[in-house]
Amino acid sequence: MRPARDALIWFAAIIAASALAFWLGGYATDVYRKMLIWVALALSYNFLFGIAGQVAFSHFAFAGVGAYGVVILAHKLGLPFGAALVLALALCALLAFIVALPSTRLEGFYLSLATLAFAQLVIVVISEGGDLTGGTGGIANYRLPSVFGYVIRGPWYTVLLVLLVAFTLWTLRRLDYSAFGRACRAIRDNAVAAAAMGVDVRRVKVQAFTLTSTLAGLAGIAYAYIDNVINPPVFGIENIFLLLFMVIVGGSGSHIGAIIGAVFLYLAPFVLEPIVGHGFLIVFGVLVVLTILFQPSGLAGLLNRRPARGAT
Amino acid sequence: MTGKALIAVSGLTKHFGGLTAVEDLGLELFPGEILALIGPNGAGKTTTFNLIAGVSRPTAGSIALAGARIDGLPVHRIAALGLMRTFQHNMPFAGMSLTGNILVGCHTNCDGSLFDILLGRRRFRDREAAARRRAAELTEFVGLQERIDHDVSTLSFGEGRLLELARALAGEPRVILLDEPAAGLTQPEMARLGTAIRDIAARGIAVLLIEHDMHFLFPLAQRIVVLNFGRKIAEGTPEAIARNPLVIEAYLGEAVGGVVARPAHA
Repeated sequence: MRPARDALIWFAAIIAASALAFWLGGYATDVYRKMLIWVALALSYNFLFGIAGQVAFSHFAFAGVGAYGVVILAHKLGLPFGAALVLALALCALLAFIVALPSTRLEGFYLSLATLAFAQLVIVVISEGGDLTGGTGGIANYRLPSVFGYVIRGPWYTVLLVLLVAFTLWTLRRLDYSAFGRACRAIRDNAVAAAAMGVDVRRVKVQAFTLTSTLAGLAGIAYAYIDNVINPPVFGIENIFLLLFMVIVGGSGSHIGAIIGAVFLYLAPFVLEPIVGHGFLIVFGVLVVLTILFQPSGLAGLLNRRPARGAT
Repeated sequence: MTGKALIAVSGLTKHFGGLTAVEDLGLELFPGEILALIGPNGAGKTTTFNLIAGVSRPTAGSIALAGARIDGLPVHRIAALGLMRTFQHNMPFAGMSLTGNILVGCHTNCDGSLFDILLGRRRFRDREAAARRRAAELTEFVGLQERIDHDVSTLSFGEGRLLELARALAGEPRVILLDEPAAGLTQPEMARLGTAIRDIAARGIAVLLIEHDMHFLFPLAQRIVVLNFGRKIAEGTPEAIARNPLVIEAYLGEAVGGVVARPAHA
């Protein structure tokens, strides 16, 4: 660890990713912004699935809670934006905590089912929420209000998304390279041995779930102001599988892998669709199977001869 | 034994349905002592370990660590109080590095609130650095320094055992429970393990071990407790145990009496 060098890399990466925002055209900006949201979600999902070993299917549901939460609070109920933001995040954290309490008692497949049930419930609620959620049509015609007199528009909103990704990565890396991250990995590998080493298994599981789900909520809030439209299908079940693919193909348990996987699988359809049409989903499926069979450390593992297994 | 017992078990009883796995067991373990638990399969040795470590709750009786009751506490709380263990079958954290595995053993010494971690508080950073130094020392102590960059899944069975020992020691335990540490080890590995266990006891840590290999155990243990059908049938020095007719009948058999006379590694 060389702090000065690390700081320089962070600074250079943020500047480069932000500079791109001023150079890209309208359509490319839209693609770039959504890619940044996917990267943020893949990073937090990688922590939950790849590091903490919780195969939860509720990640997009929490993004939906964040997005709908902030839009309803700020634009339907007319709260000041700052308050709406904080309350929407608090709602994500609270819901995640409530879901985590019973579901982290469950192992593997049953945790997946419980979180899947919650994800479906969220979709039903936002689809049937009448005027408040706009039903299946969702909510549109709102705009990001000024914050302390500043109006963030155009490329500057893209810069904000770059900072969101940077914040997410910084938070998760910091946690990963600590006793907390090691406890998460230890529970993933062997919960009985982890408990014998003094790890409070339930507490760590609940914390990991709550924290990563809240980060998903934050990404959802940022998503809400990209097109200034939100509707139920975005937060549905299909996207969670794409997120899972991104993490696996990129390299489960690796932060850089989550970024590579998200960028690669998000951009791949733009290249593949003209050639194979919707057949790109088959290509994805084959890619995931090949990764699991032949390259379990994913694309990130190709960069590094020693797989990024972290926590050293 | 003089001084105060670190572990004091009394009247310990465990029923599994109609089966009595452990009955009215009492034992004391002192700092720096190596105490062995032996007996035939199904005598209740591992059950006793699991009761002390908090994996299962006793039906009756009490277990105290340094004078404070620990029976009924969850496993991680007991570990945090200074009782660490290894398992009969190796249980490494297979997706983590060797150092990462040992650092998990330091968990209770470097855990902090999520805010402490995110803010990088000084106290927390210092403990983390200390844990890393300790992990490096322990890697050397068990002789795995040449394997430090290897994937944990590539370690041999014996090396896995030594890693478990280092991981358990990382928590700076007052008591360490070793469940059949010598099982499956080669002769040189056994010798290394024996030396390590003596060193551990010499640091003042109380060692309680289950073992079937009497050639390994008799020169090592200071005291032996013999279980049969969940009951203690004998307790004493290895010499006394080897001559005890009850123990010979229940477990050791006639031929093993000579073990004490020829230490396995001297």
